[in-house]
Amino acid sequence: MAEDLVLDTAIRDWVLVPLSVVMVLIGVLRYFVSKLMRSHQAPDLKVVKEGQVILRARNLRAASGFIPAKSFRSRKTYFTNEENGLLHVPKGQSQNAQAQMFSDPNLAMDMMKKNLSMIIPQTLTFAWVNFFFSGFVAAKIPFPLTQRFRGMLQNGIDLSTVDVSYVSSRSWYFLNLFGLRGLFSLILGEENAMDDTQRMMQMSGFGFDPSRSLSAEKDGIDIIQHDWALPKMEKRAEDALKKLLK
Amino acid sequence: MVGASEAARMERLESQVENGGGGAWEYLCLVRKLKARRSNKVLKHGLSILNDHRARSKLGAEEWTLYEQVAFAAMDCQQHDVAKDCIAVLSKQFPGSIRIGRVEGMLLESKGAWAEAEKVYARLLDDSPLDQIIHKRKVAMAKAQGDLSAAVKFLNKYLEIFMADHDAWRELAEIYVSLQMYKQAAFCYEELILSQPTVPPYHLAYAEVLYTIGGLENLQTAKKYYASTVALTGGKNTRALYGVCSCSVAIRQLTKGRNKEEKEMSDLQTLAAEALQRDYKQRAPNKLPLLMSMLKNMKLNS
Repeated sequence: MAEDLVLDTAIRDWVLVPLSVVMVLIGVLRYFVSKLMRSHQAPDLKVVKEGQVILRARNLRAASGFIPAKSFRSRKTYFTNEENGLLHVPKGQSQNAQAQMFSDPNLAMDMMKKNLSMIIPQTLTFAWVNFFFSGFVAAKIPFPLTQRFRGMLQNGIDLSTVDVSYVSSRSWYFLNLFGLRGLFSLILGEENAMDDTQRMMQMSGFGFDPSRSLSAEKDGIDIIQHDWALPKMEKRAEDALKKLLK
Repeated sequence: MVGASEAARMERLESQVENGGGGAWEYLCLVRKLKARRSNKVLKHGLSILNDHRARSKLGAEEWTLYEQVAFAAMDCQQHDVAKDCIAVLSKQFPGSIRIGRVEGMLLESKGAWAEAEKVYARLLDDSPLDQIIHKRKVAMAKAQGDLSAAVKFLNKYLEIFMADHDAWRELAEIYVSLQMYKQAAFCYEELILSQPTVPPYHLAYAEVLYTIGGLENLQTAKKYYASTVALTGGKNTRALYGVCSCSVAIRQLTKGRNKEEKEMSDLQTLAAEALQRDYKQRAPNKLPLLMSMLKNMKLNS
């Protein structure tokens, strides 16, 4: 049944706007707290060196056509040599990175802090929303949805005949959760524009495993065929000169 | 890299400030951003801002950056007292800071007290062994003392860790060229071309080093790189055009009697010669006879 419910404007004033404001404020608060709690991690020599090796290997892959074949080959062996090539990681070491992550107390503390700073505000806000703002229709989504979304979006509303486009405030909360990144980038400056989706992704992908990226680069370089671009450049030079002299 | 528009803006600001118009602070910020080396102007205008209480308080937190900038400029102009005063103010505000320690080390360097500067840098490196700027200061010191082999050693050690730093590769290449170690210089230029393949000066420098090393294969490769410079600069680089001609002459001399490749290459050479002639006619017509006689000699020598 597609009847139009008329929603009280008081809902807008007292539910939607305060919820958004609260989430923005919590985000800003979280930013400042994380700045205070951030421990200065001294860069590790090995990590820096590996990062630079990867950059150099990537440059080699990208611009391999610009250097003579002999130089390319010597660099290729330098990087992928089985004994002491830069990118070659002996089998035993590659599994250690994860274990190292957990055993190193600094890293574990950092991760815990990051997780906490994310979980606690989220839990609190969600509980607050559920407590105060449940049991009524908060907004109408402008596009029609299937019945499957009913369970997710209409949580406090126990009428099964209401159109699925009418959602409860919990879905407004989720909308804000995923969408406030643009606002944060305006307020906090470009680099701090992290909203919760990105933090969640950061949380899940915490294993910065250098050995994996090293072997990925190594495979990349192994595959490459050297295609010397310089002879074509001679032709292009001729054309350029011809155009210049016309 | 300095963009052309920003460089023009800096020139304009410079003339404006020199002639008494305002905008000194903007000029100083731009100089700092573009890393231009205008030490006497920076010193003059920076000091005028710093000595004026009102202007200084208007800067707020940027005041300390200005102190640092003026200290560098003073060292460049050998005004050690000014530099010392600036450093004293800075170290009162930020005691024990590595950045200030660096500036102190540079003051010792500019006075010529190499041993003490070295001690200061060694101490700073103990605290933060991965500070790139301190490593580079050590290289600069070795170079200033004329000890090029020590500079090479330091640079190599630096590059073992920070191998993606293309400025360091460029510096190493230039030192190798001055030491006449051309093969190593060629390696460095290859690194530069790998990291920035569309920058013409690296192609040009690589071609020159190859041409200097000599040998048929190197000459042919050099000619290709001169050609790529010509292509990248649209034919406007005179040195590359000359390079093309000289390479062709040298190759022809080496391959006398084997004339299978001559016909393909000569197109590029004649075009380059023509472009050179036109360039000279436009820009330096009184040197044109020199060019003509050189080109005639090249054709005759084949």
